[in-house]
Amino acid sequence: MHKVGIIGCGGMGRGHAGNLSAIPGVEVVATTDKNPAAAEALAKVYGAKVYADTPSLLDTAPVDIVAICTPTDVHAEVAIAAAKNGKQILVEKPLARTLEQADQVIAAVEKVGVRMLVGHVLRFFPEYVTAKGLLDGGQIGRPAVCRTTRASHHPRGSDDWFADYEKSGGVVLDMLIHDFDLVRWYFGEVERVYCRGLAYAGLDHIDYALITLRHASKVITHVEASWALPAGNFMTKLEIAGDEGLLDFNNESSVPLKVLRKQTGDELAPGVIVPESPVAKSPYRLEDEHFISCLDSGAPFAVSPQDARAALAIGLAALESERTGQPVRPG
Amino acid sequence: MVRVGMISFAHLHAHSYASCLKRLPDAQLVGIADEDTQRAMEMAERHDAKAMSLDELLASDVQAVIVCSENVRHREHVVAAAQAGKHVMCEKPLCISVADGEAMIEACRKAKVQLATAFPCRFSTPIQRLKAVCEAGDLGKLLAIKGTNHGRYPGGWFGERELSGGGAVTDHTVHVADLMRWFLKSEASRVYAETDRLFHPELKVEDCGTLTIEFESGAFASLDPSWSRLNAYPFWGDVTMTVVGTQGTAMVDAFNQKMTVYGEKQNHGDWYFWGSDLDLGLVADFLDAVDQNRTPSATGEDGLRASEVTLAAYQSVEMGRPVTIQELRKT
Repeated sequence: MHKVGIIGCGGMGRGHAGNLSAIPGVEVVATTDKNPAAAEALAKVYGAKVYADTPSLLDTAPVDIVAICTPTDVHAEVAIAAAKNGKQILVEKPLARTLEQADQVIAAVEKVGVRMLVGHVLRFFPEYVTAKGLLDGGQIGRPAVCRTTRASHHPRGSDDWFADYEKSGGVVLDMLIHDFDLVRWYFGEVERVYCRGLAYAGLDHIDYALITLRHASKVITHVEASWALPAGNFMTKLEIAGDEGLLDFNNESSVPLKVLRKQTGDELAPGVIVPESPVAKSPYRLEDEHFISCLDSGAPFAVSPQDARAALAIGLAALESERTGQPVRPG
Repeated sequence: MVRVGMISFAHLHAHSYASCLKRLPDAQLVGIADEDTQRAMEMAERHDAKAMSLDELLASDVQAVIVCSENVRHREHVVAAAQAGKHVMCEKPLCISVADGEAMIEACRKAKVQLATAFPCRFSTPIQRLKAVCEAGDLGKLLAIKGTNHGRYPGGWFGERELSGGGAVTDHTVHVADLMRWFLKSEASRVYAETDRLFHPELKVEDCGTLTIEFESGAFASLDPSWSRLNAYPFWGDVTMTVVGTQGTAMVDAFNQKMTVYGEKQNHGDWYFWGSDLDLGLVADFLDAVDQNRTPSATGEDGLRASEVTLAAYQSVEMGRPVTIQELRKT
């Protein structure tokens, strides 16, 4: 039996609460949030108890697991405190805002001997897992050039924290961290990062970046990140060209279901189109099941804390390159 | 009626230009000169023209010539044509060095003939439509452009540096670099590139890479010129741009007006383009420029500015850092 405390009850906190509580033998029993109403609303759904703040949850809640879903800049202090309290940790990506913080978290986790999974959820997306299998199976030969896109509107978290790039790191650190982990999984370590972007342009709720990564394996990866789309849009693309073939994926064309609804009332009003790609289990659910099953079996997580640190190092190198205009080697 | 000659069929686009001349009522293809005299005779027969030596062609009464020789011979052919008083359209890339480009521009200026660079993408209807969208201000201020001009290794002299001047970066940078300048109304100021030989290691030239280009306006862009399409890919053409502005994002895929055909003989799908003919617009514009003695759509300067991006990319790879266009001009 696992008892979970949710720290940070925004979108990701609600998601993990739903997925974890759906796993047999797992119960969400505690919540906390800077905004008490959010903690109460979530607690109500699962019959959990609300705690005034993170220290009181960690000190007094009867939980063996915490899911840390706070803004990025406080991941480290919460994770370190959770480790010291002997909690198993599921923490959202990125692991931390700085490499120093990441190293401190990893040291704390190792010292106490608790386990930590960082939410690099792309490793559980069936399309990305399929691509990994094709790469490993040699279907496209030796990979040469990879292109990825991840694009959405600018997110609005609680207190609009995503717009504070000191906290979130903008689109590069918050969203591209997914792709950095992914391409490192696919092609290995990154030697050089060159990035041009808008994180330091001082625009209102627009961020965008174009990044070139050079892997030690020679693969050239180009990554596009956008928080510049109108609300309601989300696009991902993956293309990998190898010396014996090419694979590509585009979420806008991989749409097995489209529901086109008329607006009620006015026959001539534009309708609503809702595209869907339903899967038996969502990648987030698979991630949380993997977390619990590895805790129970002792098997290693698909993403190690060092993997999460390496993705963070690439993201921070990209931000450094964006700032200086020079290629940067990840730390 | 404009009387036109063609110099060399080394570049395959010559076939398309010849067929455009036949289709355009105000043009007459008079003579074809080619170092490969056998090819000159074959092409003359195919296109109802006369095979001539270069000297004969330049001494004839043609008003204009289209140069489709190997890249390294552009300078010699353009300068000779200008000195003979012929207006010139030169296949892209205009030049493989700044000095070559300047010499061609100067020769045409002195001879008071028009110099056009063959940038047919300016005549793509989807590209023109997007240009109009940008000019109308629908995207707000333009911040960034992500471009691709993927291709397939064309074989032959394209892989021989002594004739081509370079590989995929030479072949496939200038089309989209020109479009970026045209859209942003700004010149490239700084270029960073990663390149390699990963698809055809037997070549002596690069076959893939990614360029990052900054513009004087403050906008930035990336461009993938890789020959990353192998034979199995249903390749027809690839010019894409994602244009990001303060008020929106637009994506154009210039060759996406296509029919997909799955032929049992090919063992893979093929694409057949049904959009408007870009080359026809290009050649018609050149003929009109000759007839009216006006500046063509894309001039020699446009050709040189686009080639400077290519040349700066090579210098960036050599130096392992971004290179400014100013630096390039000094070397």
